[in-house]
Amino acid sequence: MIGLFRDEMRDRSIVLWVVLGAVLLAVLNLPASVSSQAKAALREGVAPLQGALSGFTRWVGESIRSVRGIGGLVRENQQMSAELVRLRNEVRDLQSLAQDNAALREQLQFSAQSGRRLTPCEVIARDITGWWQTIRLSKGVSDGVSMDMAVMTSDGLVGKTVDVSARTSDVLLISDAGCKVSARVVRTGAFGVVSGNGPARSGQASCRMDFINKNVPVLPGDEVVTSGLGGVFPKGLLIGYVDKVHKDESGLFQRADIIPKADLGRLTYVFVVAEQSYGADDYLMKTRSSEGGAP
Amino acid sequence: MFMAILVGAVAQAVFPTFYWLGQVNAPVLLGLVIYYALAHSRGTMLQAAIFAGLLQDALCMIPLGYSSFCFCIVAVVVSNFKDMVFVHESFTHMMFGAIAGGAVTLALYGLLSATGLVSLAPGWVFLKGVGSVLLGAILVPFEFEFIEGLDRMLGNTDERTS
Repeated sequence: MIGLFRDEMRDRSIVLWVVLGAVLLAVLNLPASVSSQAKAALREGVAPLQGALSGFTRWVGESIRSVRGIGGLVRENQQMSAELVRLRNEVRDLQSLAQDNAALREQLQFSAQSGRRLTPCEVIARDITGWWQTIRLSKGVSDGVSMDMAVMTSDGLVGKTVDVSARTSDVLLISDAGCKVSARVVRTGAFGVVSGNGPARSGQASCRMDFINKNVPVLPGDEVVTSGLGGVFPKGLLIGYVDKVHKDESGLFQRADIIPKADLGRLTYVFVVAEQSYGADDYLMKTRSSEGGAP
Repeated sequence: MFMAILVGAVAQAVFPTFYWLGQVNAPVLLGLVIYYALAHSRGTMLQAAIFAGLLQDALCMIPLGYSSFCFCIVAVVVSNFKDMVFVHESFTHMMFGAIAGGAVTLALYGLLSATGLVSLAPGWVFLKGVGSVLLGAILVPFEFEFIEGLDRMLGNTDERTS
């Protein structure tokens, strides 16, 4: 009787392993398109719940902050007034610069810089495994978001879209080692490639800029922007500032630590740059065609 | 079960991460898999492992099926031990949480690095492993108590195997 029971249990165990193996084999060998569709469907299903939970946690956080901040409202008001005056002056200066810029462009027969269509999105979740530095946005293909689009805040560049479903999109942050951005140091015009350093001890995200020409002086505090090369990131988006400069191990280049301007740890609303600006690639194509070369 | 896993997946994204624990997220879904492996029938256990894995993969950049594979192995191993351990003791849950947490993290790293999706420094992998062990040991007993209480309240105890 006991032997019969044991045999039955062993049979069940074998059936279990076979079923398990078959299911996993089927899932692991799904074609890429089917797999991405299945992932998108699951993400779509969970998105409302994630949105609700992130909304609730944000509400709790803001309530606590507002209660804590009551005492500092007068000081904050003074700071905001000073900031307003400074920004008004800056806008006045920029208006005259814009006029100069337009006049120069006309003289150089450049086409007018196309506007960037910014799609505002809410951040509804972060990566749930800790292997990557990603965020999930509340908008997707149905809102005009597609793969490999730049994502930014009013402060600067945040990352690029890597996985998009109908109503959600995943963004790989610039602090992730897998996110590479073609960049330029504004003061000197030196080019390089910015990539993430991963998480930092201080909690502050950091990046590094590699392949900078070793003969170009780069100083701490220099502004780093996107170069527009590569086709994903529009030209001129602020990435951050140089923190430290090192000689590359090979001795052929120099390397700089970059502090991103956007606060990547506290993202609540971001913009997807839905339309690329007039970039260096277009300029090169135009120059080649005007010279009679291949486009 | 499906609702618990759905909520668990969303909650996993909300828990804070720490540098000294390798920025590992709290293993909420793994805790649920261990619970269903210890306290429910094998059919429910496998459903839980596969669904939790698929959900985890769908909510991040891991290729579909990797987490399911790891969770299923954990579930089968844990269920094989359930007749030899005190199923309702917190120490048991702590030990399973710690061992399974570390094992799943290392297994996933092996799979991801083999396919070239992730490349980390050995020190960082070690931190992640230690973080998973600690978080698994801390979180799983509480999670077990909570879900068991919920199941009892909802009357979902009829499937339980001795």
